[in-house]
Amino acid sequence: MINDEPDARGLVTIALQTFRESILPVVPAEQRFEALMIANALSIAERELAAAPEPELAAAIGGLIGESGDLETVAPRLCAAIDAGAFDTPERQGELRKVLWELTRARLAVSNPRLLAPSARQSNS
Amino acid sequence: MTAGGPGAEARLLDENRLPRLEAWLTEKAGADRVTVVDEGPLSGGAISLNLAVTLEIAGGRLAGRHEAVLRTGSASGVSASLGKAEEGAVLRAAFAAGARAPEPLFISAADGRDDALLGAPFYIMRRARGVAAGRKVVKSDEPQRELARELGRQLGLIHSIRPGAAELGFLPLPEPSPALQCERDYRAWMGRVAGTDPVMAYGLRWLTLHAPPPGDLVLCHRDYRTGNYMVDQGRLTAIIDWEFAGWSDPMEDLGWFCAASWRFGQTDREAGGLADRADFYAGYEETAGRRVDEDGVAYWETAAYLRWAAIAIQQGMRHTSGTEPSIELALTGRMLPEIEQDLLRHLDGLAGRKLFGRTA
Repeated sequence: MINDEPDARGLVTIALQTFRESILPVVPAEQRFEALMIANALSIAERELAAAPEPELAAAIGGLIGESGDLETVAPRLCAAIDAGAFDTPERQGELRKVLWELTRARLAVSNPRLLAPSARQSNS
Repeated sequence: MTAGGPGAEARLLDENRLPRLEAWLTEKAGADRVTVVDEGPLSGGAISLNLAVTLEIAGGRLAGRHEAVLRTGSASGVSASLGKAEEGAVLRAAFAAGARAPEPLFISAADGRDDALLGAPFYIMRRARGVAAGRKVVKSDEPQRELARELGRQLGLIHSIRPGAAELGFLPLPEPSPALQCERDYRAWMGRVAGTDPVMAYGLRWLTLHAPPPGDLVLCHRDYRTGNYMVDQGRLTAIIDWEFAGWSDPMEDLGWFCAASWRFGQTDREAGGLADRADFYAGYEETAGRRVDEDGVAYWETAAYLRWAAIAIQQGMRHTSGTEPSIELALTGRMLPEIEQDLLRHLDGLAGRKLFGRTA
């Protein structure tokens, strides 16, 4: 397909900005919760479109099981190894936990980055 | 909960259903006449429809005016939820045990013969006053110690209901133990995610390795947390949302209540954003007739994150599958990483501790 400009990320960014600046302030109280959810959904999409591929993460996961490949390939294999008990010992568990934290922080950076700061332990609603 | 007024959507109590419901209630109450005043849907509950109603009953055992809630809806979406007639039976048992559950006034028949009235099973319970919204409930300069303690006492009363209780025979018994049954359920609810998300795979494995042996089985509410009880001027008025109730290890409800997911910003008040765990535990021990097993609570708090994750995954799938397009469900699906962060933090906090014969 021809790559028209602005691209998806550019469109989501300007849509979100316009929504926040022009629409959100005038949304009636009864629709405010939904409006905030729209802004939240768009900002997750914006961050996901901006996220760079993560070869280090795939490599870290692959390293745990002696395999290589992209995240979609190695993550299910790691799951199978965990299910099979390959990480039951304290030493192996320690190595695994470190990588699980990296993975979780990378996903949180897209879905809800304000929870990333160590002090920002918050609940959902 | 707030009354929204009869909305623009199709009304549950339309001109056909309303008189049929009134006739049914008249018979059930042994009354001369029952008038149902529809006061519109109440917020709360992603699965059920709650309608504020006032029953004006002339004659019979319930003569008078009763502010009530009509709760209906099919048990769709989340796998563990009970049908409304079953939920009504659980409510009746909890109310009879002395717990502050809203009193159920009328429940549609368990065999489904009343379902045609409103198109689905339903029940009507007394309406409690107050707010349930988590952010409002936890808002307090000082810890709400008495409220936490009272919620502990209430949980102890709920846990006095044991398998064999009349009218609760439909609740399945966990096999081979509550912990291992839960692990299997969560895995099933997660679907393919259990095999593609390593944090989920690890959490499930942890639940298997550290599972406590079978012990007391009690009626667990299974969604006992801030957001699911009502408070009026700092006092507990009702425990609501019983649709996930089932037989389990009593520590399951304590772990769920204290999980980081339900503190609504009051992070340091580990008992539901209200106060310290000590207050909640002390209240529990007053009425439960058993001690709080801290290892058990720690185990079940791990289970809480897996369970909440499994529910979030299912909510997301309700949207993604196309059966129920909803921005709220879609965003719930994307909460998984924050639930996983809470899980990892909890497990880090347990590191080195011995749980049921195995070092965590």
